[in-house]
Amino acid sequence: MKADVLIVGGGIQGCATAYHLARKGASVIVVEKDYSGRHASGVNAGGVRLLGRDMAELPLSKASMELWQTLDEELGHDTGFRRQTLINIAADEVDLATLRAREIKMHDAGFTHERIIDRDELRDRLPYVSSNCVGGVISDLDGYAIPYKATSAFRLAAERMGAQVIESEEVLSLRRVGDTWLAQGSQRRYEAETVVNCAGAWADRIALMIGDNVPLSHAAPMLMITARMPHFAKPVVGAVSRQLSFKQFENGTVLIGGGAKGFADRANNRTRLDYAKLAAACRTTAEFFPIMCKASINRMWAGLEAYMPDNLPVIGPAVNAPRAFHAFGFSAHGFQMGPVVGQVLADLVIGGQCRFNLSPFRIDRFDRKVL
Amino acid sequence: MQAFDCAIVGAGPAGMSAAIELAQAGADVVVLDRADRAGGQIYRSAADSPLPDAASLGPDYAAGADLISRFEDSGAKHLAGADAWHLGDDGRILFSYQGETRELHSREMLLCPGAMERPMPIPGWTLPGVMTAGAAQVMLKSDAVVADGAVFAGSGPLLYLIVAQYLRLGVPVAALVETTPRQHYLDAAPLMPRALRQLGQLRKGLSLLREIRASGVSIYRHAENLEVLGDENAKGLRFVASGKQYEVAADTVFLHHGVQPNLNMTRAMGLAHHWNSAQMCWQVTVDAFGESSVAHVSVAGDGAGIVGADGACAAGRVAAQNISHRLGRISRAERDNKTKSDLAYLSALKPFRRFIDCLYRPTDALSSPRQANTLVCRCEEQSMGDLRTGFEQGARDPNALKSLTRCGMGPCQGRQCGHLVTGLLAQWREESPEAVGYYRLRSPQRLLTLDELGRYETVTAEAAE
Repeated sequence: MKADVLIVGGGIQGCATAYHLARKGASVIVVEKDYSGRHASGVNAGGVRLLGRDMAELPLSKASMELWQTLDEELGHDTGFRRQTLINIAADEVDLATLRAREIKMHDAGFTHERIIDRDELRDRLPYVSSNCVGGVISDLDGYAIPYKATSAFRLAAERMGAQVIESEEVLSLRRVGDTWLAQGSQRRYEAETVVNCAGAWADRIALMIGDNVPLSHAAPMLMITARMPHFAKPVVGAVSRQLSFKQFENGTVLIGGGAKGFADRANNRTRLDYAKLAAACRTTAEFFPIMCKASINRMWAGLEAYMPDNLPVIGPAVNAPRAFHAFGFSAHGFQMGPVVGQVLADLVIGGQCRFNLSPFRIDRFDRKVL
Repeated sequence: MQAFDCAIVGAGPAGMSAAIELAQAGADVVVLDRADRAGGQIYRSAADSPLPDAASLGPDYAAGADLISRFEDSGAKHLAGADAWHLGDDGRILFSYQGETRELHSREMLLCPGAMERPMPIPGWTLPGVMTAGAAQVMLKSDAVVADGAVFAGSGPLLYLIVAQYLRLGVPVAALVETTPRQHYLDAAPLMPRALRQLGQLRKGLSLLREIRASGVSIYRHAENLEVLGDENAKGLRFVASGKQYEVAADTVFLHHGVQPNLNMTRAMGLAHHWNSAQMCWQVTVDAFGESSVAHVSVAGDGAGIVGADGACAAGRVAAQNISHRLGRISRAERDNKTKSDLAYLSALKPFRRFIDCLYRPTDALSSPRQANTLVCRCEEQSMGDLRTGFEQGARDPNALKSLTRCGMGPCQGRQCGHLVTGLLAQWREESPEAVGYYRLRSPQRLLTLDELGRYETVTAEAAE
């Protein structure tokens, strides 16, 4: 099969890239080794978060947040996006000092979307929070979406624009002959002028086929969801220095994250849970919100996610081959960036440049680093 | 943490029989079961029936009381009320016991999860007042509760058994609406002669049917187009029999359409499964001795493929002897010698099973919803139409469909809808159920409070000290 662009990986980055490329008239094939949204893009916590982002990511993340506000209409499908205030709780004065230091840096850089709140406002917004908490920081632009639905919405919109998404198709080899990329899949062969690597936790293998080495690792962040319970928390909740993270959905279920990692068995395409760490997440949640003590856990799971040593993604052109691009290694906060990453890659593929400074995301940024 | 030679999960016929053998062989064996008394579903409360005359439930049930007392005297450690919520293929079991999560290790694990009833998604099957024949049995055995004037609909031995038990107890029954199609009798007829070798099993079934007929209760045969009547609650059953439409009024409708292995435990462990096309259900893949794809994990009884209570006892004993051998307590020759007669019995059961499977095989009309508004997932209230929409949006895998529609995400973890979803996707994709697959299941296998899980580490730390 032939196309202008071959995208490896049918997660949100791959599907968003396919959508923007197809919209600009490129012929696009997406190959996905499992099914679209099978791994991190479909099973993550769904956070659409600007609060607490690394400075280097903020311009991209802010642009993406604007896209999320109207994404359902643009794609013509439900992403499950709800705008909802996000609060990071300060448990003590040390946390508040951390927040004040960040505020100065943020204001200097011209970012004003984060606001520190005091004990009273925290209590107003989260009546069930433990009385020990001293305040926090909020962002009103934030929200959440349903990960699989959002990925699926991009895929459907891309397909409507003419992109082809081929599932159960693993890329076994990739090589460049003359001006063409030749890919051997488990089912078919492909030819394309340009290749885009959005292969998530498997992206280091695709990068290697392209010719780029990258210090990517993978892990299995764990999540739990409760049975429905009475509404007690409207905002999405996080914490400045503790592994606390949860949101209550409209249906009353509460999704609990916090970043505890299970065991990632990438070779077998699966993950295992670490119950001792989940138990710790339960204790933290109940400590901050005693009402959660009696909540019933319905499911627990983990997804395979790719991490970079500095927790920043790789976004940009390959360094050792022409007409190849990367977008991976989002280190458990890439879901929110999907919409803008799709635009950025489409701009790079078609015009060779984009409106953002991508130097913090270069794939070779660790090449000359002395540790 | 406590370590055992063998942990058995489930104290039904298979689990109890296996425990007796293993304890006799001197193995350190523990049996976990969520009920307060051993017995499983079929022998539920057989040792302490609340009924004034438990004999009315039949001789098989009485035999259960004998097995339970042999199990209780066997020396196997029985953790009654232990609800296993995580079984690891490393031999670790996490279970709730008296409000705490506890943990144990075992060299060998024997899963005896038993059977569950096949869902029967006819229009109205989710209305209050509609229950399964199995639920009628539970109410009767545990609490001596019955429903007066109920209609019983469907097919299969368990349905006839509960009707006969009701009649013996003098409970009025509105009707038995039998759905076995004429064609099934014709298809099963050639299998009859070989099935006759299990004359005892066959006689049991025939005498139940004779008993029901003799009682004078209304029986409708070869019924089709079943539909539960009522808007808020069940008001009766409408169906067509012999070309004529009937409506039988009843506040309670008991449905039954055969049983299938209870998959959640074996699936959550990640054991290999295959599609059993005769029984039209998934079952875990095991060898003759019950060993699964993970060598130190065995499965016995209905949970490894429907064999019935007597077959489950034999399969439990066979698995136990093999585990004894794996533990180094008996030689291979001793194992082969000790399992010979049970293995012979299990293979002799096969022609009978084939006959029953053929006669009572689930019909498409009863095992798959036909109307767009019929609910498939009761927990998340997803109808067949909702699933069709999701399928048309590209969710071709059961897990993709679950992510998109929430079908199977509720507290039952897909126990009810799993087979329905495999069946629907197989129809829509025009592929085999095997190609479609099943939900990826995870622990916990029951709801677990944050409070309980939060105390898990402390509990194990104490046990380690």
